[in-house]
Amino acid sequence: MRFEVVTTVFRKPLYVFLATAVASAVFVFAVLLPNFRLLGAVFSSNTASLYEKTALVFSLLTSIGTNFTLLSASTVIVIAVLFGIQVSLLVYYIRRVRTGMKIAGTGASGLGGLVSGMFGIGCAACGTFILTSVLALFGASGLLAFLPFGGEEFGVIGLGLLSYSIYLLLKKIDSPLVCEIK
Amino acid sequence: MEETKSNTTNPYLIPGAIILAGAFVAVALYVSGGSQTSVATAPAPTQPVAQAPQPTGSTDAVRAVDETDHIKGDLDAPIKIVEYSDFECPFCKRFHDTMNEVVADPANSDVAWVYRQFPLEQLHPVKAMAEAVASECAAELGGNDAFWQFADRFMELTPSNNRTDIETVIPQIVGEIGLDQTAFQTCFESGKYDDKIQADIDNAVATGGRGTPWSILIAPNGATFPINGAQPRAAVEQLIEIARNEQ
Repeated sequence: MRFEVVTTVFRKPLYVFLATAVASAVFVFAVLLPNFRLLGAVFSSNTASLYEKTALVFSLLTSIGTNFTLLSASTVIVIAVLFGIQVSLLVYYIRRVRTGMKIAGTGASGLGGLVSGMFGIGCAACGTFILTSVLALFGASGLLAFLPFGGEEFGVIGLGLLSYSIYLLLKKIDSPLVCEIK
Repeated sequence: MEETKSNTTNPYLIPGAIILAGAFVAVALYVSGGSQTSVATAPAPTQPVAQAPQPTGSTDAVRAVDETDHIKGDLDAPIKIVEYSDFECPFCKRFHDTMNEVVADPANSDVAWVYRQFPLEQLHPVKAMAEAVASECAAELGGNDAFWQFADRFMELTPSNNRTDIETVIPQIVGEIGLDQTAFQTCFESGKYDDKIQADIDNAVATGGRGTPWSILIAPNGATFPINGAQPRAAVEQLIEIARNEQ
């Protein structure tokens, strides 16, 4: 039943495009994140051509193979895909039911999935970007050293939350839009 | 008939949640300086966790390269890539191979690779620091070439992530590259390079390094470009190409 909902939604090119665009954006964001400062320096350079700048961006994208562990690279890719699916389903649902939505649980878990996923988009050189930043605020960044996978655990939790959120959305989409008899 | 209670739920809840999450990410990025990914790895061996450096720092603070550095290439090369590295970091191992390929390419004869120490005591206690000391002792006893022989062989042999059996591997490499084992041991136990290594760590942190490998490309005109992590050869080559225009 849930699978039928997925095929119903993604039979429409708009939602396939939306999911692909969102997934791509999340992937690019996560992979380039470690080198935003480098990109800032290069893009503010007057001597580099637009071609050179663009080529650098594309070459940095291949760092998914060098700058990530197998676990964090897999997590980044799956979170990006799940997030793309989630946003598409969300848009589909919102368009279908413009008023009186019964989606409180979905919203909460979707937010949890997004935040947790972002926490865990593990970036390479040994850490996770938000988690380490937040911990650094409290001078507690060393805590990550005590986690068996150095913070990548949060990516896996994020996957679980995103999956749950998608499940809830599918369930809501699958529910008939009627007033229930109590 | 009555509507279920949840039918009155605010319809803006999910869009609001997404916006809130976006704001959260934006704040986190702002806090992280938009680029730092691995604060956990940064604190120096002698720094308590509570003093973990905040994600600030300018690559312009990179210490000038001189003859006391470990350099592969020409000291006067117009382009220098200064790498702050940890012998136990698996990404450093990958980037070590990448940099070896880059500087071995005749087309990059204008590029020099500078190796500085950034042992991450929190992640790789004892071993990373000991290996940094060992490499300095190799340099003392055998010069710049011995340093690179030690570093290349160490990266080739060891498993990283604090799994190296340093009591076996270090003497093995010292023997392979022909250094005096007794003199090496004396140097290794002396503690004479602790300050030098700490200075490298401090400089890495001052330039914004929060994890390894952390590298800074210095262009011919002195402009600096940060390279965070084990970036692929194509990216390094592309950045070198951009740097060549910075005259």
